[in-house]
Amino acid sequence: MLILAALLAGCSGSCPEADLQYIKQARSIGAEWALINEQANANNLTPTYVTSMHVWLRQQLQTSSTSLTKPDSRYGKEIQALLQQPDDVAPDEIRAHVARLKQIEDQLESA
Amino acid sequence: MNPLELTLGIMTAVGGFVDISELVFAAKAGSTFGYALIWVFAFSTVGIIVFSEMSGRVAAIAKQPVFNLMRHRLGLKLGLVTLLASIISNLVTCAAEIGGVSLIMNYLTGAPYLVMAVVLTLLIILSIWVLPFKWIERIYGLLGLFMIVFAAALVGIHPPWAKIAAGFVPQVPHGLSTKELMTFGYFCVAIVSAVLFPYEVYFYSSGGIEEEWGPKDLLTNRITSILGMGLGSLLAISILANSAQLFGPANISPEIPGSAALEAAIPFGKWGLILALLGMLFAVAGAAVETCMANAYSIAQFFGWKWGRHKKPWDAPRFTVTWIALFVAALLVVLTGINVMTLVELAILFSILVLPLTYLPLLLLAGDRQYMREHVNGRLAKGLGWVYFAVITVAALSAIPLYLLTSGGNG
Repeated sequence: MLILAALLAGCSGSCPEADLQYIKQARSIGAEWALINEQANANNLTPTYVTSMHVWLRQQLQTSSTSLTKPDSRYGKEIQALLQQPDDVAPDEIRAHVARLKQIEDQLESA
Repeated sequence: MNPLELTLGIMTAVGGFVDISELVFAAKAGSTFGYALIWVFAFSTVGIIVFSEMSGRVAAIAKQPVFNLMRHRLGLKLGLVTLLASIISNLVTCAAEIGGVSLIMNYLTGAPYLVMAVVLTLLIILSIWVLPFKWIERIYGLLGLFMIVFAAALVGIHPPWAKIAAGFVPQVPHGLSTKELMTFGYFCVAIVSAVLFPYEVYFYSSGGIEEEWGPKDLLTNRITSILGMGLGSLLAISILANSAQLFGPANISPEIPGSAALEAAIPFGKWGLILALLGMLFAVAGAAVETCMANAYSIAQFFGWKWGRHKKPWDAPRFTVTWIALFVAALLVVLTGINVMTLVELAILFSILVLPLTYLPLLLLAGDRQYMREHVNGRLAKGLGWVYFAVITVAALSAIPLYLLTSGGNG
């Protein structure tokens, strides 16, 4: 019982599980960014909409990144790498980051 | 019954049905749980039809607005608590709508978000000041009909119609973990809250009194409630189904209101995007008007002040100052820079807590033969009314625990 309590106390607020919601958020933002760039390349969106969405998505991604309890973790670095991409990055390149974040998310959820 | 008036009334209700919370939660619900939450939208829509029809009937027969009833039925103390809770709930909701409108204008024009918040609030205040009540409601509602593009987009992407139809059957998806089950529960509560927002009933019943409804308007009230809300709900369900088809498989859980507009851009290109954004703009602006006016109606009715947009602004000075002050207060909330999604979540939470207290006095009065005479609640209205009252009470009790346990539905 004491060991369990100690584990819970040690975990609260600093375990990767605590970061799970931000990883999910970042994965979703990345996937949306890829979809927007894909639709923009197909000339389906107005330039103003694309620019605005890039600003808002980047802001959300930044919030997810700064909310992490372990910014130096593998997922923290992945989110940072995503943030360093230019707005008009190729959709496949973003999707590669998204796939890695999804993998980490699935690992944490099944743990 | 004038057919033109009736058609305009129904179309206004359809265009005005979707607000920022429904927009956000429909898109998130579809991407997270596929079609499994369609039935919650359908179920909640029957609830808002029941209570809207009831509030319109009470306005037409007893000539009593909701907050007048509340003070008499709940007593001064509990009435005051309800008033305070509903002021906070409507204020947060109004701030979320103003934030939403400003965001949408930012997507359309690229103008800075906070500047847009100030400009649009002033324009909305001006529109309320100069337009007669009926046209305030109609202009926003009718222009909100551009949102029909979401229904057209759903047809355009050729979704699995059988799965969508199956979504109307009450269900909980199989194989969910405990955490996912709680998230599903949170989405159920959020959708019930978003569809049954209390401001809709305050605004609708006060509007009935503004337009001097009487027994001859009861059929119009019934048809407008059923068709207007029912068809409006189909727009919300279209957003959900588009999201299930386009966003879910792409691992997207829409994090900002502008994401929903992509649903129309994918099948229809730039024009689809522009129509979706325009529809969202007017529907959400209409909701901002309704939340703010509902708040002003509540305060004026509770304290027995002169109220109504049928009067010249200076003939009901306290009411006029109140609605303008409420708009300014909501704008100040937006200007703090708080995230629109946070405001939407707070609006959902506060509203669900107020819902039981909003609908209880209405149910009691609509069932009181002394006031309602032969127009008292029939078996169906009475039965459905109490069932929905029980549902919203359970939803209100579980809202905060579910919000905390699921980090606001983010798992």
